[in-house]
Amino acid sequence: MKLKYLKILILVLISTGLKAQNIVGEVEYRYRIFYDKIYSSLPHITEQEKDRIQLTWSNPEGYSTRMKLQFWPEKSIYTFGEPYEVRSYSWQVKDYLIQNNLEDQTYLKYMDQMGKTYIVRDSLNAPKWRVMNEIRDILGHMCMKAVAEDSLKGQKITAWFASDIPIPTGPEEQFGLPGLILAYDINDGMLIVEAEKITFGEPEEIISLPKRMRGREVSGTEYHDIARKFIQTSIESRRAWMWEIRY
Amino acid sequence: MKLLVSCLLLGFIAFASQAQSKLTIRGVVKDTTNNPLDYTSVLLLSPKDSALVTYTLTNEDGEFQFKNVERQPLLIKATYMGYLPVQKELVLPETGDLDVDEIQLMPILQELYEVVVKAAKAPLMMRGDTLEYDASKFKVPPGATLEELLRKLPGIQIDKDGNIVAQGEQVQKVTVDGRRFFGGNTKMATQNLNAESVSKLQLYDDKSEQSKLTGVEDGVKEKTLNVELKEDARKGGFGKLSAALGTDGRWTANASFNKFDKVNQFSVIGYGNNVNQSGLSWDDLQEFKGSGAFQFGDTGDFGFNGRGGSNYISFSGGDNEESFEIPFNNLNSGYSNNQAIGVNYNYLKDKKDFNSNYFFSRSDQSMESFNSRTNFLQDNTSFTSTDQSSQNNMAGHHRVNLRFQNELDSANTITINVKGRLSSLNTYLASHQELIRSSTEQSQMDRNNSSDKWSGAFQGTAIYRHKFKKNGRNFAASISDTYSKADQNGVQKSVVDLMNSTDPNTYFRNLDQLNQALSGANLIKSSLLFVEPIKKIFFWETFYNFSQSQSETNRQVYDVESSDTQELNPDLSRFFENTITYNRFGSSIRYANKGSNLSLGLAASNYQLNGQFSVLKDSEILGRVNKSYLNFTPNLTYSKTMKGNKRLSAGYNMGVNPPSISDLQPYKDISNPLYIREGNPDLEPQVSHSFNTGYSMYDPISFINLRVSFNSTFYQNQVVQNQTIDPETFVTTYKAGNVSGGQRFNPYLGFGFPIVKTKASAYLYANPSYTKSLALINSVETETQTNGNNFGLNLNLTPLEWFSLYTGSSFRLSKTKYEQNPSRNQDIINWSAYSNMNIKFPKDFYLDVKFNYNRYKNESFGFDQEVPILNAFVYKLLGKAKKWEVRLSAYDVFKQNQTISQYAGQNYVSSGRIETLSRYFLLGVTYNMRGVEVKNRR
Repeated sequence: MKLKYLKILILVLISTGLKAQNIVGEVEYRYRIFYDKIYSSLPHITEQEKDRIQLTWSNPEGYSTRMKLQFWPEKSIYTFGEPYEVRSYSWQVKDYLIQNNLEDQTYLKYMDQMGKTYIVRDSLNAPKWRVMNEIRDILGHMCMKAVAEDSLKGQKITAWFASDIPIPTGPEEQFGLPGLILAYDINDGMLIVEAEKITFGEPEEIISLPKRMRGREVSGTEYHDIARKFIQTSIESRRAWMWEIRY
Repeated sequence: MKLLVSCLLLGFIAFASQAQSKLTIRGVVKDTTNNPLDYTSVLLLSPKDSALVTYTLTNEDGEFQFKNVERQPLLIKATYMGYLPVQKELVLPETGDLDVDEIQLMPILQELYEVVVKAAKAPLMMRGDTLEYDASKFKVPPGATLEELLRKLPGIQIDKDGNIVAQGEQVQKVTVDGRRFFGGNTKMATQNLNAESVSKLQLYDDKSEQSKLTGVEDGVKEKTLNVELKEDARKGGFGKLSAALGTDGRWTANASFNKFDKVNQFSVIGYGNNVNQSGLSWDDLQEFKGSGAFQFGDTGDFGFNGRGGSNYISFSGGDNEESFEIPFNNLNSGYSNNQAIGVNYNYLKDKKDFNSNYFFSRSDQSMESFNSRTNFLQDNTSFTSTDQSSQNNMAGHHRVNLRFQNELDSANTITINVKGRLSSLNTYLASHQELIRSSTEQSQMDRNNSSDKWSGAFQGTAIYRHKFKKNGRNFAASISDTYSKADQNGVQKSVVDLMNSTDPNTYFRNLDQLNQALSGANLIKSSLLFVEPIKKIFFWETFYNFSQSQSETNRQVYDVESSDTQELNPDLSRFFENTITYNRFGSSIRYANKGSNLSLGLAASNYQLNGQFSVLKDSEILGRVNKSYLNFTPNLTYSKTMKGNKRLSAGYNMGVNPPSISDLQPYKDISNPLYIREGNPDLEPQVSHSFNTGYSMYDPISFINLRVSFNSTFYQNQVVQNQTIDPETFVTTYKAGNVSGGQRFNPYLGFGFPIVKTKASAYLYANPSYTKSLALINSVETETQTNGNNFGLNLNLTPLEWFSLYTGSSFRLSKTKYEQNPSRNQDIINWSAYSNMNIKFPKDFYLDVKFNYNRYKNESFGFDQEVPILNAFVYKLLGKAKKWEVRLSAYDVFKQNQTISQYAGQNYVSSGRIETLSRYFLLGVTYNMRGVEVKNRR
């Protein structure tokens, strides 16, 4: 039922699109992760250890990665952007690419997680978003607040979407709001993803999927199961799962 | 079949009834001037949790339409850029479609939007009619009052009397966290509250106090400003206190206190004990140093490694005199009494980072040890010397560490490190030495030595780093100076027992001497580095290193002829003055892309060694050294990080180590008459060629990990100590020489895997080693080969939440072969096993049992020593927050503790044994403000 709505919406968008320039473009996001806060939230960490983490290696700035999202009314592609700093040592850049096909409501995730490469394909199934009465400005766009929960990773997600960019997609695994998600936050600041630059119009260089994708092909449910088991064993053996699964 | 039909039927009915309950919702969105708003988002939400049901956009005429909406309670919400979102509840008709009343959007007050939402980036929250925003997003100078903050907010003015005027009306009262502040005096609140502590401001019309009291609505509204204060997050403090008393007067006590917030970290720590602990625990050290705990890369040395060996950060925690670092994880041998106290303060603000600490530690140690050394002679004979000694060392160290780092802007960073130490050391040694030539030929000597020493050092390092506009182009410069000074006074006495000696004066001598040594050194270092990126994946690095060390040693030895006459001994008294200057210039090309890193470099290095010595400072110069060495050193490193946590690395490194000046000086050092050292002015620098390869992998799903590595080193002109042993007197003369052909191989294989996932895992490892060393012994080239065979297994069992067992064993067989004297070949065995068991009983009772077993064996000497150590701890946590702990500890239950060492050298074998604190019991109490930490899992 929902699929039909979205199809209509896309048709509306394409027909009214002539007026709106805001339906094709590229967004650069700053992905800022706060490992100290995440690590402190693990169940086996004692109060004393939390203090020790905060004292010795807390990083109020977090660790930043530049990410890139390209969007059209019918799809969006998301992957790494240009690094902030050119370094003379290269750590492995893992593959992480998410393509949302808004037309037929499917997604493709090509990503290195838990030490393996996974190719995940399934239909888009939006989380239960609750739209709040709060607005915020991000790069000149008025954004409305929406919240959701991820039971797998135990995350409280607070997203800000721009209704004047009516493409229901967003960075990382976030989508399904009546506008492009320009920022979101997990568990009050454990992860902050925020748009830094928006360029409307056809992107100069369109992100291309790798010609040969090698990896384990799984459905969304299968991947969810693998991740759930991994998180469970990690917690049992007191390991931090978020070193291996993107937070 | 029947079932299917009924299912279909049921499905049809359900579908039909559903179709009936669906409706279409239509409406129009306009602005306050009645203009239709197109392109407006219209959302349908569920009123109970605001869950998004569906959404659409309005057309050119501001019209929207939702088809086939399920008949359920709904909220409608419309939002458009620059307008306040509107939300209202829909009243659904029983049947038929719904035409919603016109939705009118109000523009957001431009000032509010520009100032609050856009400029201050504060989210605006709509709560009914009131607007609320996060006032903490407004930048105010530190220490500013609430009044200053209010002046910045749109729609709010402060009149000349300090009254708040909001939206044209005077604010009647100010509440803090909903409570009235100081009897409603608004100025009192605004002028006293700190703006930085404010999180949110809410402005609304409240009922009058009168109507609140009476409950009768009087229609009078009071403009009210509510101030919400920030929770003091990131602020904390904790303290720990622990003390224990035991058998034989054993005791131990530790205390620490920390207080910290976002900007300041303050801590004090102290300990005292007579159970050999002479350092902080690793955790305590981290807590003590706070943000200064992990600061690496402060040495300011740039360019690839050129001195041989590998660059790594070593974690050794001993309380040694030369170190500026705070001791940790250090357990003394013998018996000792230890105390320490330290204070640390860190200041972290914006891009400024300041760490400082002072630490004083002292230790009073007494040791009884027994050492034995058998030297092999050319003619297949040997002689053995034994030494039974009793030592008393008293050491005290003051250490100061300061570090300041300032990121001036995004391009420039400076780091300044200042370290200082001051130590006093008093040692007293009494020893009884025996020389056993055969069962009939023995001689003996008793020694009494004592010395007092003061030493101090200071080190200052400054590093400047600059990032150019071009991303990846960097420059760095460093300068550092280390100055040290030491003053030592000593007494050496020895008395030889003539009774059993055949020719006592040759090996053992009677001595009565006083010595004084004053030494000072200064090391100045500077490095430059420039990195130029080429196409983001190639980097051209150029570096320059300079260092100069100047040292001076003035050692004077006096023979005590009688109680009041002392005569300078010109054979033993020496004054040295040495300067070593080092210059290196190098360049490398680096490729860094997608996890692959390849670096190829070449450097030219020059060592200049200048030295001279004399008996006294201004007396005739007895010898000079003026040497200059130029070497070209290539360097290659490669590493590749691959998907699936796999990593491969390989490298080649050429190291050049110049000979030490003392080895170059053409003179005989006879300060130890049994071991005479002779200099060699013809020495060349030692060159080492090191090759290393490694591979590691870790699979996070199966928990399997593998590590393989192979390192080898080949020496050219290795500086070795050639020996000549006088067959009559047994006096050994060492003379440094160069020899090529020395080798070293170190393979490593490690494999870890789970036996039962999360419950049991194992790690197997093997690291054999091979060393070939060459030296001239009595002018004959002697080759010594040592094969180390080391295997081990660790088992970790964590089957239950309340039980864990960590156990393992390692076996090491060192086979030393003497090419020229195979009958002396040595097989030294070290076998060890450990087991740590932790059990959690109900009611917060815990039991930890630690068992360590070591066996030392050398068959050719009939040496076989077992050291089994059993420690056990029973403890209980008390109180609701588990802040108290009572603990009963038993150390070395079998009373077996001693420190054993074994070594096979080029022409000798030695073994040592130190009597060490054995069995004792402690009963102690711990209080931890944060709750006592139980470490029953690794």
